[in-house]
Amino acid sequence: MTAGPTVPEAAAPARARLVAPDLRLPFVLLVLCFAAWGAAANLTDVLVGVFRSIFDMTNFQASLVQFAYYGAYFLLALPAALITSRFGYKAGVLTGLGLAAAGGVLFVPASQLLVYEWFLLALFVLAAGLSILETSANPMVIAMGEESSATRRLNLAQAFNPVGANIGVALGALLILPYLTTEAAKTIMSEDDLLASQERDLALVLGPYLGIAAVLLTIWLLIALTKMRLPTPPDAGLNASGNVLGRLWANRHYRYGVGAQFFNVAAQTCVWTFTIIYAQDVVGLSSGASGWFLQASLIVFLVSRFVMVWLLGLFRPTLLLLVMALFGVACCVVAVLSPNIVGLLAVVAISASLSLMFPTIYGVALQGLGEDAKFGAAGLVMAILGGALLPMAHGAVMDVAGTAAGYVVPGVCLALVACYALFDLRTTREQVPAGRGVS
Amino acid sequence: MSTRPLACGLLGLLALATSAGCGSDGSDVTVGLITKQEENPYWVTMRDVAQTTADRDGVELVTATGTSDVDVDSQVEALEQMTAAGVDGILIAPTDSEAVVPAIEAAREAGVVVIAVDTPTDPTDAVDAVFSTDNVEAGRLVGEFARAGVDELGAEPVVALLDLAPGIASGEERLEGFLAGFGVEQDDPAVVGRVDTEGDEDLARDAMAGLLAEEPGINVVYTVNEPAAAGAVAALEDAGVDLAEVVVVSVDGGCEAVRGLLRSGQVDATAQQYPENMAREGVLALAEAARGGETPTGYLDTGVRLIAGDPVQGVESESIEFGTRNCWG
Repeated sequence: MTAGPTVPEAAAPARARLVAPDLRLPFVLLVLCFAAWGAAANLTDVLVGVFRSIFDMTNFQASLVQFAYYGAYFLLALPAALITSRFGYKAGVLTGLGLAAAGGVLFVPASQLLVYEWFLLALFVLAAGLSILETSANPMVIAMGEESSATRRLNLAQAFNPVGANIGVALGALLILPYLTTEAAKTIMSEDDLLASQERDLALVLGPYLGIAAVLLTIWLLIALTKMRLPTPPDAGLNASGNVLGRLWANRHYRYGVGAQFFNVAAQTCVWTFTIIYAQDVVGLSSGASGWFLQASLIVFLVSRFVMVWLLGLFRPTLLLLVMALFGVACCVVAVLSPNIVGLLAVVAISASLSLMFPTIYGVALQGLGEDAKFGAAGLVMAILGGALLPMAHGAVMDVAGTAAGYVVPGVCLALVACYALFDLRTTREQVPAGRGVS
Repeated sequence: MSTRPLACGLLGLLALATSAGCGSDGSDVTVGLITKQEENPYWVTMRDVAQTTADRDGVELVTATGTSDVDVDSQVEALEQMTAAGVDGILIAPTDSEAVVPAIEAAREAGVVVIAVDTPTDPTDAVDAVFSTDNVEAGRLVGEFARAGVDELGAEPVVALLDLAPGIASGEERLEGFLAGFGVEQDDPAVVGRVDTEGDEDLARDAMAGLLAEEPGINVVYTVNEPAAAGAVAALEDAGVDLAEVVVVSVDGGCEAVRGLLRSGQVDATAQQYPENMAREGVLALAEAARGGETPTGYLDTGVRLIAGDPVQGVESESIEFGTRNCWG
């Protein structure tokens, strides 16, 4: 949920402009930001397997990559909103871009020191910046034109996020994965050769992140040097009284909705984080070939989103949520019980079930909250914590019971999402006064 | 005998011959690879990795292959053609360690550096270098595992040996390593039978059935390769033997066996070898030599790892996941 724009009303044209004429360049730059954080986020999914290979780690240790990344997103969610509220959209965007670029640059000392924890720090800083950027860029896009075209504007900008996500995975699949030193090659290496191979492989990781940092810095400069007239951001809505918290807590649809969102984000992060590892460990695909299955997952996710939009016009959202969550559970069961190419295809198919979950849970949980929705939305966004915590559980299960068995974790997460959908279908809500509901 | 695979490989040589000893794609080094078979996943892996390495290192790779593990004529013909075409170096997996030696010597006299991969020549110094698995070590690894495994079962070992065939060095070395790792001599009373299987699944199945008929209490089965292991497992199941009470070990680490026999627990452990290392290191060594670097000499151990679904105490092993990631085929 984002606060509505406060652009001064002008005489309404027959069809509202998408972007105010003097803000076209800044809008294009912001669109690039949407693509950039999509690329960074999904390149991180690739990194888990890459670091496991380079540092010869367990799956649990490698999953700390996601803990650093999504942990930063969680921790910065509220400060980011406060920065934007206090200093304005542009300051928020520039802070986010600058911090994210600094995170990208931190890959340089990390790759020279050859220390995993330095990479985690770099990822944490990168994600912290992207968290601020995302929190500022969404309302900024809305504020860049007339209110009547705000949804179209935001949708257009957001459409570039999955484009970036696919670019991120493609960067990993093309520039990193095929060139990693294989474990077989390492079996005959001396200590010096192993160190040299580690340096060579980490240099592969460095390239794409330096590229992303360069893009972010360029956007930072262009935005910093571009004059733009933007309205003052509305209050972040975070000074909620205890009364609001109490009302939200008392609302089971909201309370359980936050839980469902937690498990949805957890499932999504688990599935995408370990797709490449499943392809390698279970099916025996090469590093290079396995990256394309993550790419396929993102494409399935993207296409399914459009299909779900159509289906949501035909069925009740939570009914569709229930069906797709159960489909996701079934795919996880296949992934566990069928450790071969069929299981890998099931892993890819889980993305179809994930495609409708975030917006559907978001809408259902906030339905009827009225003014409380502004604060309630923050809770749903912070459910991203699931993406930080559950991949560690997934990795731990893989280490103990085998790679395929790890998919029990997203299976349980999706089952809990199904429970939420069932809860919504079997309970009634209090009707709220007209005009206060959130659609 | 079909000559199609060889002909395909020689088409590349024809193009090479008309390009004055320089790679037709502008590369400065040309390397030949001669394998034993077209279809076997082991050789397919070796060829694929050699090609990838060559592409990345600016080397032109020409390949030729025989039609079977005993097709000597095709290999000799390929050696002659490649030498005539002016390749800088040749990697060859000899189908017959002795029969290919004259053609190799002719190639070396013409200035071609030759490395034997997978299988050494006889004599071994007929080539500049040998890049292969240490088969004694491979056998030793599975022997140690089998000993620890049967000890964990708390049973007195009753051992069956499903060997390759007389006179084949790789089979003899693996068996030697197994016996050393297990801690017995071949004439030890614990060894109740040794049968040549030629590494063939059906022959191994028959052999194992015969051994079980003589000694139903067999609880350790050594197999020289994974097709033989598949045959042994089939015979054990046919005889109603509980596989949990038998330790079956093998050598190779092919994908089919790792994903099937090992993951299912039918085979307890295998020693995984790496044809990709033979191919990659071979191409790089020949390219370096052709560019004025050192000529490869002696022996390069291309690595072996023990893969086990359920590790046994005191024996270091890698997981099935590791085996799957690094299997060939």
